[in-house]
Amino acid sequence: MKKYTQTSGEIGDFSQLPIWQKYALVDLLYVAYGLLIVALVLVSYVLGMFNLLPHDPQQINIELLMASPLSDGYLLGTDFLGRDILSRLIMGIQAYFLPGLLAISISLIVGVVLGVLSGYRGGRIETVIVYFTNLIDSFPRLVLILLVIAAFKPDIYYIMIVMGITGIPTVTTAIANKIRFLAQKSFIEAAIALGLRTRVIIMKHILWYNCRALLIIQATLGMGEAILLETSLSYLGFGVQEPVSSWGNMVQSGANYFLQGNFWPSTAPALAILFTILGFNLLGDGLNNILEDRRGR
Amino acid sequence: MTAAITPPLLKIDNLRTYFYARSKHSFVRAVDGVSLEVGHSETVGVVGESGSGKSIAAMSVMGLISAGPGVIGGSIKFASHRVQKNLLEGLDKFVKVEEQHGRVMVVHKDDSGWQNASERIMGSLRGKEIAMIFQNPRASLNPYITVGEQLTEAIRLHTANKSPKESTERALYWLERVKIDSPRLRFDSYPSAMSGGMCQRAMIAMALSSEPSLLIADEPTTGLDATIQSKIVDLMEELKSETGISTLLISHDISVISRLADRVAVMYGGAVVEYGSAQLVLGEDASIKHPYTAALLASVPSEQKIRDKDNLQTIDGDVLDTINVPPGCRFFARCNQVTPEIKEKCATHHPDLREIAPGHQVRCWRFNG
Amino acid sequence: MPKTILEVSQLSKHFSRHRSMFSALQRNRRAEIIPAVDNVSFYLRENETMGLVGESGCGKTTIGRTILRLTKPTSGKVIFDGRDITHLSDQELRPLRKDMQLIFQDLDAGLNPKMRVQSILSEAVSVYERLSDAEIKVKTRMLLDQVNLKYSKLSSYPSELSGGEKRRVGIARVLAVGAKLIVADEPTSALDVSIQAHMVNLLRELQKQLGLSYLFISHDLQVVELMSHKVAVMYLGKIVEMGLTEHVASAARHPYTYILW
Repeated sequence: MKKYTQTSGEIGDFSQLPIWQKYALVDLLYVAYGLLIVALVLVSYVLGMFNLLPHDPQQINIELLMASPLSDGYLLGTDFLGRDILSRLIMGIQAYFLPGLLAISISLIVGVVLGVLSGYRGGRIETVIVYFTNLIDSFPRLVLILLVIAAFKPDIYYIMIVMGITGIPTVTTAIANKIRFLAQKSFIEAAIALGLRTRVIIMKHILWYNCRALLIIQATLGMGEAILLETSLSYLGFGVQEPVSSWGNMVQSGANYFLQGNFWPSTAPALAILFTILGFNLLGDGLNNILEDRRGR
Repeated sequence: MTAAITPPLLKIDNLRTYFYARSKHSFVRAVDGVSLEVGHSETVGVVGESGSGKSIAAMSVMGLISAGPGVIGGSIKFASHRVQKNLLEGLDKFVKVEEQHGRVMVVHKDDSGWQNASERIMGSLRGKEIAMIFQNPRASLNPYITVGEQLTEAIRLHTANKSPKESTERALYWLERVKIDSPRLRFDSYPSAMSGGMCQRAMIAMALSSEPSLLIADEPTTGLDATIQSKIVDLMEELKSETGISTLLISHDISVISRLADRVAVMYGGAVVEYGSAQLVLGEDASIKHPYTAALLASVPSEQKIRDKDNLQTIDGDVLDTINVPPGCRFFARCNQVTPEIKEKCATHHPDLREIAPGHQVRCWRFNG
Repeated sequence: MPKTILEVSQLSKHFSRHRSMFSALQRNRRAEIIPAVDNVSFYLRENETMGLVGESGCGKTTIGRTILRLTKPTSGKVIFDGRDITHLSDQELRPLRKDMQLIFQDLDAGLNPKMRVQSILSEAVSVYERLSDAEIKVKTRMLLDQVNLKYSKLSSYPSELSGGEKRRVGIARVLAVGAKLIVADEPTSALDVSIQAHMVNLLRELQKQLGLSYLFISHDLQVVELMSHKVAVMYLGKIVEMGLTEHVASAARHPYTYILW
């Protein structure tokens, strides 16, 4: 049984409602959680950059092998070489943060440029761009990455460039479709007829107002994917190498001890990966719902 | 009106269909207590502008409302030779309505229970006894199947002509009857290859092929070109006299209604404000009309106005917002015929439909008391 | 003698439909030519309304867009306010656009659903002039007055407006840049009858007040008769009959016109 209640009193303006009535609670929670994660990642990145860590992530302490969390100044315990897990986790962020940003920047910037050209100009340019994006799309990303690793070296930046490139088609087609949709509604024509400058039309009306949600989703999901990619590669041994820490290689090296009953050294980084990617994904999801549903039901 | 012993084909009684605006926590009172009748071999036209609730009323009859809470009250009695049923029978156990000061405040509804029960009632009637045609015919046809296939599918489903040969024959018969040109060719065409007018003819063929007792036509001519519109109205006039079918015709186009309807109901803000024979309701005499009807008729450019290049008469204000429904007469804010004596009443009390002449009802305090 | 504001001379607009993607890449290989507008000529004076009627697909919308150079004509000339705009580039056209505007058939055209009416109008007002915030505020209010909209609508989003209101915001937007010629593409369709009446009266008022010229494209013959001084009937891209409204409506000479009316 569903209950529908008529409000008694004045029926007010939607945009004046307080935030918790305007949007679904679930979306707000997603965004809150996502923002928390992003904040943690940013803070950790900065800490790592300036080496402001509780302990040296590479310092081996033979006395304190496999210490459990909260023991004696080691907030998250130590791994099988007595190294502080917390510090290693914080340093692990260095491995994917900038490369991830590089990847999403490539996807977004090139994607937007191609998408706008394709949607706005149409005609022959569109045809060429469509061929180009189809071409990129048809390559399996992992194969490309392995090719790059084989041809050059397992440098995370090279890998992220590949990831960025493989992310271009999604952005391009999404933006081109959006433009086509707007054009159908005579939206763009009306703007031109009024006399607005092309630059203004594209940047303000198309991108900022209409593609915002799209771009945010791409950015957040892209970051999540970048993290996954980097950690997976490091896990497999292709990415960051020991003794430098990456969440991936931490999971890998702790794996040997997992079956012996020492779960923590592997589990801690795995949980970090889980919660972080979840944070980015939920942030994108929540923001998308909030931005798209601005008018409410 | 002669006292009929046979009940009318369709009798809608106090139908209420509400929607819920989540952002504003209130009900959109799309259809708020509508009562209408369609007799046998009669065409009843429902005139109204957007927001009047006329389309929603038609869809409620067909059981096509899916948004919540949907139909919350009333009865829709259908009585043809073959079937007699209340289309909302037994559905009231899925709805509980709480009112306060005559205003619906809370609705408890078991949506899935309602839908299932409604399907059980309407499933056997839809398409067979009651058929419906819609605005924008091309959108109602499946673009991937030929018109012929869609038509024969409907025929096989709703009539006794089950074999391919019989159903094709019947389909072609009906395509000819709706005066579509080159029926054989159209039979094998896809909707995208046909103009709007032809698609609408095909829709009419599909609707009538099962020989229903009632045809509901929701804005059948809107969206078509002016010349095609009049052709479709011609067609409907012919079919009306040939088949004797009853029609509930919904349109905002008064000229279409005046050509086809025997009786007319004028809707505003979710309620019927005037109801009577076409001559009376759409006729010249403005003194026996609801102010809205009179204003509506006056806002159409007439010969006189065109000759004098005069400004058109307009109705002040905006169409009623069916969320914020005022306590008194819904048309009060825009009415130009309020006199000081009735002003108080108009502002605070919602008038009933009163009969001002045999078979002619108006919902206005000018004619009451 | 009021001056001629628009002169259209043997204007044609052909669309080519390509068979396949390959022919699209090569120039003009096996393309189908569709003459949407075929050798059309007419002129329009200041303070005059010319109606353009015909069924859908006859090219009336395309004429409107071609005249305003939203698309390039295939051949012929368009002379606006004494200036030949047929072959001007987009750059050169921009400053001229303010005098010739289009009211779109689609009610939502030009109304960014994420922008409030206030922002939409402020943007329109500022396209050709740099104004201070106070001036913008004054001007937007003035525009609302002109189209009979309440100031409270300034804070609304387009989705919160009714059809008639959206249409009026569209008109206000067009007036904001100071148009002299307005091509009105089906301004009254998609509106209820009583709102149509408002619209017609409004357009006539504005013409009187501001000395506007209209190219009134519609398939609603009654309204065209009421509004236009002269009317042209189009069929398959050509004008088949043209003249003063009274003459065309009552003493139609072309068989097609006769059918229409």
